[in-house]
Amino acid sequence: MILRVKGKAHNVETFVVGKVTRDYNRLDSDTFFIAENLTPEFAFDSACGILTNLDYHNLNSSLPAVFSVSSFDHLNEGDIVSVNSLGNIRTLYRVNSYHNIIFATERCNSNCLMCSQPPKDKNDIPELYKINQKLISLIPKDCFELCITGGEPTLMGDLFFQLLEQLKEELPNTEIHLLTNGRSFAWPQIAERLAQIDYKRLMLGVPVYADYYQVHDYIVQAKDAFFQTISGLHNLASYSQRIEIRVVLHKQSIPRLTRLAKYIYKNLPFAEHVTFMGLEFIGYTPHNIEKLWVDPVEYMEELEEAVEFLSGQGIRVSIYNTQLCLLPQNLWQYARKSISDWKNSYLPECSSCSKLNACGGLFTWNLDKHSNYIKAFAEEISIV
Amino acid sequence: MSIIEAKSVKKSRKFSELEFFDNNSEQYFLLPFKFHRLNTNKEVLVNEVGDLLVLPTGTVSRIVNRQISKSLDFELYGDLLANFFIAETQIPPLIDVLATRYRTKKSFLDRFTALHIFVVSLRCEHTCHYCQVSRVTQDKGKFDMSWEHIDKGINLMMQSPNEYITMEFQGGEALLAFESIVYAVTKVKNLAPKFNKKMNYVICTNLAVMTKEILDFCKIHNILISSSLDGPDYVHNQNRHRPEKNSYELTIQGIELTREILGRDRVSALMTTTNLSLEHPIEIVEEYYRQGFRSIFLRPISPYGFAVRNERKNKYETEKFLNFYKTALNHIIQYNLNGEYFSEDYATIILRKILTPFPVGYVDLNSPTGSITNVIVFNYDGAIYASDESRMLAEMKDYTFKLGHLNTHTYQEIFYGEQAQKIVECGINESLPGCADCAFQTYCGADPIHNHATQGDMFGYRPTSTFCQKNMEIIRYLIELMDSDKRIAKIFESWVKPRH
Amino acid sequence: MIHINQIKDGEILVFANTVLFSKDAIFKCLYWYGDKFHTNVSFADSETYCLSLKPLSNASIKQDEINLYLQKLERDLIDFQLRDTIVRETHNVRDLLVAKAFSNGEFDEDPIGLISDPVGFVPL
Repeated sequence: MILRVKGKAHNVETFVVGKVTRDYNRLDSDTFFIAENLTPEFAFDSACGILTNLDYHNLNSSLPAVFSVSSFDHLNEGDIVSVNSLGNIRTLYRVNSYHNIIFATERCNSNCLMCSQPPKDKNDIPELYKINQKLISLIPKDCFELCITGGEPTLMGDLFFQLLEQLKEELPNTEIHLLTNGRSFAWPQIAERLAQIDYKRLMLGVPVYADYYQVHDYIVQAKDAFFQTISGLHNLASYSQRIEIRVVLHKQSIPRLTRLAKYIYKNLPFAEHVTFMGLEFIGYTPHNIEKLWVDPVEYMEELEEAVEFLSGQGIRVSIYNTQLCLLPQNLWQYARKSISDWKNSYLPECSSCSKLNACGGLFTWNLDKHSNYIKAFAEEISIV
Repeated sequence: MSIIEAKSVKKSRKFSELEFFDNNSEQYFLLPFKFHRLNTNKEVLVNEVGDLLVLPTGTVSRIVNRQISKSLDFELYGDLLANFFIAETQIPPLIDVLATRYRTKKSFLDRFTALHIFVVSLRCEHTCHYCQVSRVTQDKGKFDMSWEHIDKGINLMMQSPNEYITMEFQGGEALLAFESIVYAVTKVKNLAPKFNKKMNYVICTNLAVMTKEILDFCKIHNILISSSLDGPDYVHNQNRHRPEKNSYELTIQGIELTREILGRDRVSALMTTTNLSLEHPIEIVEEYYRQGFRSIFLRPISPYGFAVRNERKNKYETEKFLNFYKTALNHIIQYNLNGEYFSEDYATIILRKILTPFPVGYVDLNSPTGSITNVIVFNYDGAIYASDESRMLAEMKDYTFKLGHLNTHTYQEIFYGEQAQKIVECGINESLPGCADCAFQTYCGADPIHNHATQGDMFGYRPTSTFCQKNMEIIRYLIELMDSDKRIAKIFESWVKPRH
Repeated sequence: MIHINQIKDGEILVFANTVLFSKDAIFKCLYWYGDKFHTNVSFADSETYCLSLKPLSNASIKQDEINLYLQKLERDLIDFQLRDTIVRETHNVRDLLVAKAFSNGEFDEDPIGLISDPVGFVPL
C-alpha cells in the first residue's frame, strides 16, 4: 500500500494540508486538485493546491503545486494529504480505511527492544502539531475511530491536551485510541489535566510487559519505567480514565506471562481491555531478533493460561497479530483481525485456507519472519 | 516505515543488558507479611492485602535471614518483589498502589450497614427441635411486629449511608405476617427514591404457607425468596418438624411454584447443619443439585452449638463439622471436574478474599465485624440487636448485644453509641490476640457475639475458639487444595468471577 | 550452664536464649498452648528463659504425644521469632501503608526517576 509519493514542489512554503479531489465541483480552499494527464481549468484561487503527473511547464498557476508525480492511484476522493517543500505528498487520512492515525511525534522517552517506530531525537512536535491541527479540522465528522500514536504523544506537553481538546470539539463522535507508555501520568497533575478534558471517547492503550520491574524496564530500555507506568495507570484510574493494557509476546515477556496476567488483575483491575500482541518484524526488532524471537507455537500454553485467567475473571481480552493456525482452538474467540489494511498480508500457503476470511493474517514485513507452523486449514466438511 | 540497520542505531540509544536495569540494592527490605505452615512440605505467605504465595517449608526463614539471591533465585525474587513481600528500598516505589489495594479491601466499611432484618412475626407453624422461637399462636398482637415499629425501623434504615439497602423479612415464619410485609414494602418503595436508596427485598420463609397471591406480589416488587432446604427428605423432615411430617414436600413444592412465578434465580435455599446433617454430606449436596441449585451454602453454624459454653463439646462438634465440610466440598468439586458448574458459598467468600482484589463484605467473616457495620436486626417487639445471633442470645435471656429500642433510641445512639463501639472494638482481628499474627487474618474475621456466647468474653480466647478452629482449617484446606491441583485452582477461580 | 530441652515428670521444659528469642515471641507462642497446658515462663539463668508446659488435667494428652508437643514447641518458637523479626522490621512501613490507605492523598509519594527523552521534557 502506497502512503507516500514524491514530485517536484513549486510554491510550497513549509507544508500544506488538504483533501484531494479529481472533481472540479468539489474544490474548495482546503482541497487539492489532482490533475492526471490534464491541464486544470478553473479559477485557481478556489483550491489549496494542484497535484499532477505533468511537468511544470504545462501549468500557469501561483498555487502551491507538486509536479511530475508518478501516480495517484492510491488516493481516493476525500483522502487527506500533506505536501511539503521537498515535494513529498504524504497521505494523512484515508476515507476508505478504519485504520487512520494521528501521528504525534517521533520522539520517545523509552527505547523498546521491539519498537516498530524507532524514536528520533529531534523536536518535530511544533510542526507536526500544526499539521495535525489542520488535519483534524478536515477529517470527516463520521470518522469512526482514530489512533493517536508516535513515539510518545505526551511529550507534546501542553500541545497534547490542546490536540485532545480539538479532537473532542471537532470530532465528538469519533472513538480515540491513544497509544502511550503512560509514564508521564505518574505526575498526578498530568493525569488531572487529562481528566479535566472529560473525554469519554478516549481510551489509553498502555504497555506493561512484566510484573517484575527489572524485566519490564529492560524490555522498554528505560530505568524506572515500570514504576512510572504503574503509578501513571493508577493516577489515570483515579480519574476514571479508560485503560487498555497491551502486552507484546516475545522471548523476554513470555516467561512471566501468567504472573503478569495475575498482576494486571490484582493491581490494575480497572483495565477495560487487555491485548496480547504477536511480534512485528520491523523497526528495532530485526536488530534485536536474537533476544526476541520465539516461534509462537512454543508459547501457546503460557498464552492460553494468561488469556483464560483474565477472561475467566470477566476482563475483555484480545489476541492480535497471531494466525489462527497457530492458536489452540479455545483461543480463536479472542483473535482479532487487528492488522491495519495497509500492512496486512498473507502467505501463499494461506490462499487455500478455509479460515482465510476469519484470520488476521500477517504483517507485510513478517512475511520474512514468521512461525514455521503456518498451515492452511482444510475445507470444512459439514456432516449431514 | 523503514527498517533501521544495526549500524545506524545511535549511541545514546544503544541497548543495555538486563543487568543494567537492576536497582543494585545490596540487600532487600522486608514488607509486612505473615506466614503459616500449610502442611509438612509447604508454608503459605500472605502479604498485607491478602496476596499469597505457597512455597517450600523453610523459605520464610531464608527470606528473613536474607538468603534469597537475586541471581540464583531469580524467579522467586521476582515473585516476592512483584507481590509486595520484599522491596529494594525501605519504602517500596509502588507503596501508593499497595495503599490503594488496602483501602479497596476495606472499602465495604464506607458503605456501612446494608442488611436490615425485620423480624415481622415470631409465629411459626413448624416445630423444629433446635429452634428457640415461639410455636404457633393466635396472639398476633403479642408476637407480630407492630406497624408503628415497622415505621420506626424503616426510618432508621433510610439513615444508613449505604446507597444499596437490603430489607430482609424473617420470623418465626415471616409469611404468617404477610400483610405486614405488604405494608412495609409498599411504604419503602415510596420512600426509597427520596433518600436515594436502591432497595433489595428478601423474604426468609420455609415455603409451607406460600401461595400464588403472595408470589404475585413478590414478582411485582422484585422480592427474593430465601428458603430452607436441609437436604433429602429424611434429613429435612427430621430437622424440621411439622405435625403432618411433610416439611420437605412443602418445601419442594414451594420452590417449584416460586421458580415458576418469580424465575429460577429468584429463590435460594439455605441449610441448617444439625448432627443429623453431619452424617449426610454427599446426600445433601446431591439433593441440592437434584433440585436445580447450582450453589450451596455449607454454613459453619449450627443452631444451638454456638450457645453452648462447653469447650470440649464445641471442639468435638467442630471436628465433625470440618469432616462434613471437606467431604461435601470434594463432592462439589467432582461436579466441576465433570464439567458441571456447582459452587460452595462459604468457600467462595473466602476465595474471593484470596483471589480477587475486591472488598468482600460477608457479615460473619469480616474485620471489623459485620455486626452493626453490615447488619442490624429489628425484633418483633421493637428491640434492636447487633446481629441475628444477638437476638437468639436474647431469647435465652442474654441481652448483652441488645443495642436499644425503636421507641427510645436514635440512629446515632444505636450505630455509634458506646455499646456499638465496644462490640466492634472486639471485632477487629488485626488487634486480637492470636489473630494479630495469623497468616489468614485478611481472609478471616471476628465474631464478638460468638466469642461471648461460647467463651463468656467478647474478645475471645483463640486456642479454644470454635470460630478460629473452623476458619483456620477451612482456609488452610482451600489453599492446600488449590496448591495441590491446578484444575481445582481453576475451578475456584471460576467461582469468584464477578457476576454483574 | 547447659540447658537441654526435656520432658521431666510429664512436664515439658524448653529453654530459649534471651538474645535469640524475644519476650514477645515467647509469649505469643505459648498463647496457643494455653488450651491444653498450664504454661509458665521464668529465667533459668541471666541468659536463658525457661518455658514450662504442664498438661491440664482435662487435656487428656497421652504419654507418646508429649514428645510431639515438645518438638512442636521448638518449631513454633522459631516461627514466632521469625514473625517477631518481620514485625520489628516492617511495623513502620505498615503504619505508613495504613495511614496512606485512609488518607486523601496527603501522603502520596512523589513520582520517581527521570522522564525526559534526549530532546528534553518536563512535566509541568
